[in-house]
Amino acid sequence: MPSQEDKLSRLSSRDRQVLKEINQGLSDPNDIAERLGIKEVSVISSAEGLAGMGLVSLDKRVEEVYTLTEEGARYAEIGLPERRILDIAGAEGVSLTEIKDPALKVGIGWLKKKGWANVEVGKIRPTGDAPPGKDEEILAALSFQGETTGSALDGEALKLLKSRGLVESKAQKSWSFEISEEGKSHILKVDRAKYGINFHDVDLYRPVNQITSDMIKNGVWGVMGKGDGYFMYKGGLHRANPYDVTLPAERIYPGKVHPYQRLLTRMREIMLEMGFTEIKGEIVQSSFWNFDALFQPQDHPAREMQDTFYLDSRAEIPDYASVKEMHERGGDVGSTGWGGTWDPEVARREVLRTHTTSVTIKYLADHPNPPVKAFSIDRVYRREAIDPTHTPEFEQLEGVIMDEGLSFANLLGVLKEFYAKMGFEEVRFRPGYFPYTEPSVEPEVYIEGLGWVELGGAGVFRREVTAPFGIDHPVLAWGLGVGRLAMLRLGLKDLRLLYQSDVGWLRETPALARM
Amino acid sequence: MYYEDLEEMVGAKRDEIMARMAMMGADIGKSNEVEYVDVEFFPDRPDLYSSEGVARALQGFLDIKGGLPEYRVQPGDISIKVDPSVEEVRPLIGCAVVRDLQFSDPAIESLMDLQEDLHWGLGRNRRKVAIGVHDISRVVPPFTYFAADPSFEFVPLDFDEKLSMEEILKRHPKGVGYASILEGFDRYPLITDANGDVLSFPPIINGELTRVADDTKDLFIDVTGTDPVVYKALNIVVTALAERGGRIEAVRVERPEGDLTLPDLSPAIWKVKVEEVRSLIGFDISAEELARSLERMRFGARVLEGQVLEVSVPAYRADIMHPWDIFEDAAKGYGYDRLVPALPRTVTVGEPHPLEVHKSEIREIMVGLGYLETMPFTLTSERANFEMMRRTIQVRDVTRVLHPISELHTIVRTSILPGILEIFAINQHHPLPQRIFALGDVLSNGRTRQDLAAASIHSSADFAEVRSVVDALFGELALDPEIAASEDGAFLEGRGADLLVGGERVGSFGEFHPQVLQNFGLDQPAVGLELRWDRLWPLRLP
Repeated sequence: MPSQEDKLSRLSSRDRQVLKEINQGLSDPNDIAERLGIKEVSVISSAEGLAGMGLVSLDKRVEEVYTLTEEGARYAEIGLPERRILDIAGAEGVSLTEIKDPALKVGIGWLKKKGWANVEVGKIRPTGDAPPGKDEEILAALSFQGETTGSALDGEALKLLKSRGLVESKAQKSWSFEISEEGKSHILKVDRAKYGINFHDVDLYRPVNQITSDMIKNGVWGVMGKGDGYFMYKGGLHRANPYDVTLPAERIYPGKVHPYQRLLTRMREIMLEMGFTEIKGEIVQSSFWNFDALFQPQDHPAREMQDTFYLDSRAEIPDYASVKEMHERGGDVGSTGWGGTWDPEVARREVLRTHTTSVTIKYLADHPNPPVKAFSIDRVYRREAIDPTHTPEFEQLEGVIMDEGLSFANLLGVLKEFYAKMGFEEVRFRPGYFPYTEPSVEPEVYIEGLGWVELGGAGVFRREVTAPFGIDHPVLAWGLGVGRLAMLRLGLKDLRLLYQSDVGWLRETPALARM
Repeated sequence: MYYEDLEEMVGAKRDEIMARMAMMGADIGKSNEVEYVDVEFFPDRPDLYSSEGVARALQGFLDIKGGLPEYRVQPGDISIKVDPSVEEVRPLIGCAVVRDLQFSDPAIESLMDLQEDLHWGLGRNRRKVAIGVHDISRVVPPFTYFAADPSFEFVPLDFDEKLSMEEILKRHPKGVGYASILEGFDRYPLITDANGDVLSFPPIINGELTRVADDTKDLFIDVTGTDPVVYKALNIVVTALAERGGRIEAVRVERPEGDLTLPDLSPAIWKVKVEEVRSLIGFDISAEELARSLERMRFGARVLEGQVLEVSVPAYRADIMHPWDIFEDAAKGYGYDRLVPALPRTVTVGEPHPLEVHKSEIREIMVGLGYLETMPFTLTSERANFEMMRRTIQVRDVTRVLHPISELHTIVRTSILPGILEIFAINQHHPLPQRIFALGDVLSNGRTRQDLAAASIHSSADFAEVRSVVDALFGELALDPEIAASEDGAFLEGRGADLLVGGERVGSFGEFHPQVLQNFGLDQPAVGLELRWDRLWPLRLP
């Protein structure tokens, strides 16, 4: 996490020394350089870096400095030509012809300009006193001081001297440093005596992001007081950076159970809580168990190949005499049967189970004695094209209770309890029709915003279904397509999302969303 | 159904009707609120396929008119001779005459709907039952039902030229639609009148001659088929027409095995023990109230000595096969909403299936390893399951469906990994790494087995990563598998491994072969594992 404190971690030890000196009041790089025994340019470089971070304020000026030219230096020694002519001329003057030295001749014009003498009929006559001019003072000062900043000298005279080629100038930088408020905030007083550690009264801490194992083992923590992040480590003060804890972090995506699986798991739990035994069976079933055992006539439309996935294989089927008799003549339970001829070859055709009831009836046939309470939640197959509300495979929940003296009203009681546990308080019952139950019922649950929604089907297994397997007590059965429930619970508009899942949806759906 | 029509026939207001309709056993469909409503009744009640039948039932259910509906069948002198030649192709026929009809529009529409619905529901798409309705004034009885040579010609309905029966099967839309019913027969069923004019070519098409029009008053109805349910269909049609005010007249069907006078509207008589109804439904009802409940469902019901009811089942009911069918109607007549739900006293201890217990355990381990659960389809194709995975088709292993609905769903998967790669393929716009797993059924040689598949995709997915996952997984399963070089084509050579437990291969893992990744349209390295975990426990499906 980036923070102000990070700046300090980039500081070298020289930067730190320089900052410390500036904090103590030194402002001149030269002074600091002398004190630290390093070069002035190093001090300036550090200070500029510190200024860039806002830790010190820096006053940087550029000034003109002046020195004498070679000619200027000679004049400083021997005097300006006009001064030297004046000396020769004395009080009464001197004839022009006597001034022969060309180096002196240039002074004649300056004598007139400065008003030190008149020139009349070939003779130079001093006008009186000629006190030293500002230009001469400058020459003397420069000669004495060497380089001098322009601010200390007379501007007009300097200009004049420059124009006469006696003085030259160059630009020179100068620095002045001062600690800033921010810089001060990084400088801390530590009670040396208390910790007995060898460092200055005033020192810098080194900020730390990742605390290392070694820091934990060897650091002295709690240096500045309780609860802070300061610690002494390897002879220096450190601090675990405070972060802006409100900033967002990088997203991580936990491993998760599929939201639909959560729903299925909850339904399994409900069934187990209600005392049902979980059963499972094969995906590939004979038509016998999928249809015939459930008293579906062999010419029933639901058995046609446009609704059912048939396989090109035949199954072994159990002794079918009683089932055949039931289909053809209604057995001995007072049924008319379907009439016609029941064909075992049709029953041998294998299918992908179209409902979990194929598994249920097989289980009941194997467990014909009361009581039985069994359930399954598994995938079933219907020959349907995929669209938002249809998939060729989907999960079905099914429960059965077989016991002596059970009634249709008991079935309604179980349904009410089951749906209440699923979170549906309001349930109502409408007549329904399923080929293998009689009476049959369609439970409807009330859902806020949707009204009454049909959710599953139920009924008492027909005697024509149970009798051939020696099941002599009523079998209450109910089932529901879980996909529909999942759509309601997960707010889905497209069933396919359950199976061809969008990883974004899986990641964003809270694990503990209300089911 | 039209509200106005229904109100008139029932003798009740629309609101009253609609409030109770669902409790009679109907799915209320869409409605334009003003004129009509779509109502779907269950397939076991073909007598409710017409507005007339629904009105009859509603009159009982709304306490307007209960008990067994009485229909008078007047004697008549019309007969039809059944020739033995139909025995093979379409042996059964039932006929009736209904006179003095006045067809308003809803009535004609209702009759047509009824005919179509019966063809579909009871008739198994005309194979078992087909119905013909004729204007009897156009033809001259007696009629004959016989099997004719396919070259026989007549003008079929909606045509203005003669066609042979053979041509009808090839050219007439209905002929094309139902030709398969007559496949393999060298003579076709035909009904003609005394002059040899054609009424019907069952189950294909009527003759144009007897077309029913607005001014038709008297109908001749033929129902042909292969199952005695033809007589039920006849009863359903004639009683519906009688509800419209028609007068039913008997027809003599002269068969080689003996004559029938149809329609036979006499009710079937069932004896019902009150105690059995009470016990199955779970309500405390008196014999008298039970009788009233049944009358509300238009049964005739008489209380006999010894808590027994004599129940007369209307001749149009095709669904009463067993006493419980009557018991259910008693409960409907009583009102499902009046039944008191009561939990059974059955005491049992719940028991999860061991496979599901183990599934939860593996799920917990995989989630702990940071994997996201998915639940891909089990239906797939040979292409995705084998070819795209660079795996050889194990013919013995494959469960192929006979009539796939799409080329994407031709078999049940033998492996889950392809489904996982397909999920990666549709999720490439989401941040990587993605690590997903699935637990579920696969089929092996027709048997349901349990697999776990998991895969990870990101720029630095490598063998070491998946090996770590395998080790962690097996560590948690307290198993120590043997790991051997694999020849599984899904993985790169030298970067795929087989998992063996007790010498048996139970799975494989490795770096997916880049060709596999290309096949699924993936452009990042991926690694995966698959495990036939049900072999790890001494479990077998029952």
